[in-house]
Amino acid sequence: MNAEHRWLEAYPELGSGPISTEPYISPDWYAKEKEKIFRKVWLCVGRANELPKAGDYKVKRLEAADTSVIVMRGKDGQIRAFHNACAHRGNTVVTEHGQETYGRSKAAVVTCRFHGWVYGADGALKSVPSEDRFYACFDKQKNGLAPIHLESWEGFLFVNVAEQPENSLAEFLGDYAEHFRGFPFDELDYGFTYRTELECNWKVAHDAFAEAYHVDTIHAGSFPNVFSTGLQNVKLMGPHRTCAVCLTLDAKPTPVAGVANRIAGASLVSLRGESMLPPLINPDRRSDFAFELSVIFPNTLLHISEGIWFTHQFWPIAHNRTLWEGRYYVKAPQTNAQRWAIEHAMTLQRNAWLEDTATMEDTQRAMQSRAKSIQHLQDDEILIRHGAIVVEQFVNA
Amino acid sequence: MTNQPNLPPAFADLAPFLDWALPTADERQQRRLAATSEGLRAFYDAVLPRLEDILSALDEYPLGALPEELRPLYGIALSLAEVAPHIELYGGAVGVPYAFEEGRFIAVHGGQPTWQGLQPMGFQ
Ligand code: FES
Ligand SMILES: [Fe+2]
Repeated sequence: MNAEHRWLEAYPELGSGPISTEPYISPDWYAKEKEKIFRKVWLCVGRANELPKAGDYKVKRLEAADTSVIVMRGKDGQIRAFHNACAHRGNTVVTEHGQETYGRSKAAVVTCRFHGWVYGADGALKSVPSEDRFYACFDKQKNGLAPIHLESWEGFLFVNVAEQPENSLAEFLGDYAEHFRGFPFDELDYGFTYRTELECNWKVAHDAFAEAYHVDTIHAGSFPNVFSTGLQNVKLMGPHRTCAVCLTLDAKPTPVAGVANRIAGASLVSLRGESMLPPLINPDRRSDFAFELSVIFPNTLLHISEGIWFTHQFWPIAHNRTLWEGRYYVKAPQTNAQRWAIEHAMTLQRNAWLEDTATMEDTQRAMQSRAKSIQHLQDDEILIRHGAIVVEQFVNA
Repeated sequence: MTNQPNLPPAFADLAPFLDWALPTADERQQRRLAATSEGLRAFYDAVLPRLEDILSALDEYPLGALPEELRPLYGIALSLAEVAPHIELYGGAVGVPYAFEEGRFIAVHGGQPTWQGLQPMGFQ
């Protein structure tokens, strides 16, 4: 076996040819992705512990599915999802402040600001001001919020806007669910969120984060001397994918990083034990294991490591415009010094993400020039190859 | 200016750096971006030797209950976390080299007073 081509040998069905750039620049292709992917599959929109109390809600815009979703916890403890659209004249019920809006209603209701219609957390229309001025054909029972399918896995909330989803969330996740089962996501719940709108296709953003080939060049500043030994344990699971990223972490930490690492191992570039990793993650317990890099199709990257996990999400807004959200989670600090150490780790991570996002808009512009119509992938860029092939399968299904 | 920030007597030597005593991540980032390379280095060189002492002094109090007189000191320590990569890794550059525009990156927690130890994500 050729060690340089081991992923091709493991997954020969993916082939080794060049990948077309057309799906990254074509508005028509994007229209098909909306219809065949984003309006059809399960999409991760948050975590249950973002809505700790009855009446807590979160509104998330899903431009690629042409809607905005209200996710709300009812007095019965159940979390449900609805289109954020009023049954009266179609206003958004919860006024949004940008891409993500959190709110809290003691009474577990949401009220449309336009004319004051009130909906319960179960979606039922509860009150209509001047109700008697509507006509006999208007039935209050039939004018609740339009529901959206919602299911959860390990505390992650997924919605599916299809009238009738083709599969359950468990079927959709398949082996992926087993691979990550048991990681203490809920105990590491202190989450930092960064977001920006990128002038690039969502797959350009996905691809830039789905390989470790760029670490030596792009992160020469923030993560120097973490010599990449490449990917290990690549596993393709239906439309989803995962691998281990291994880095040599024996460089002496810088002075401030040294203090921070001692107080809270909250940075990706510090050696940590492996007490919380599920058995399927880094199964050989390699000492150079840094983190698991995985993709929940279509738009969520999930990474886990000892004491840390983080996600990237790519929400398409247009064929060449994407909302990127990066969230980084650690255990909530107990002391002022721990909070300080976490701030240091977060600053370093933000800087690394600033390095990661630096190439994306340039890539998009260059692809749009059509100077090159294909891209070439090496063996360790297999997650990108798999992603491109899965997207094509869905679009042409 | 109502309350001129001040430092406990044991840390009076850091008084020249009180303009780094900023409560929020956004303000500390702005301050760093507005600095010069020399300014970053002077701040780093002055605060690093005091870092362990500062953190011990802060840990006399529980997270979220830092008395007002210690908050400027915490702000200075947090500014060191913001500045350190620029001295230790980026050769004194005030921005992250070869990076995306920082001004377009939104930190959801960016406006929170860090000493309060709130959930940074935006929900309470
Ligand atoms: S549009 Fe919502 S109450 Fe009129
Ligand atoms: Fe990266």
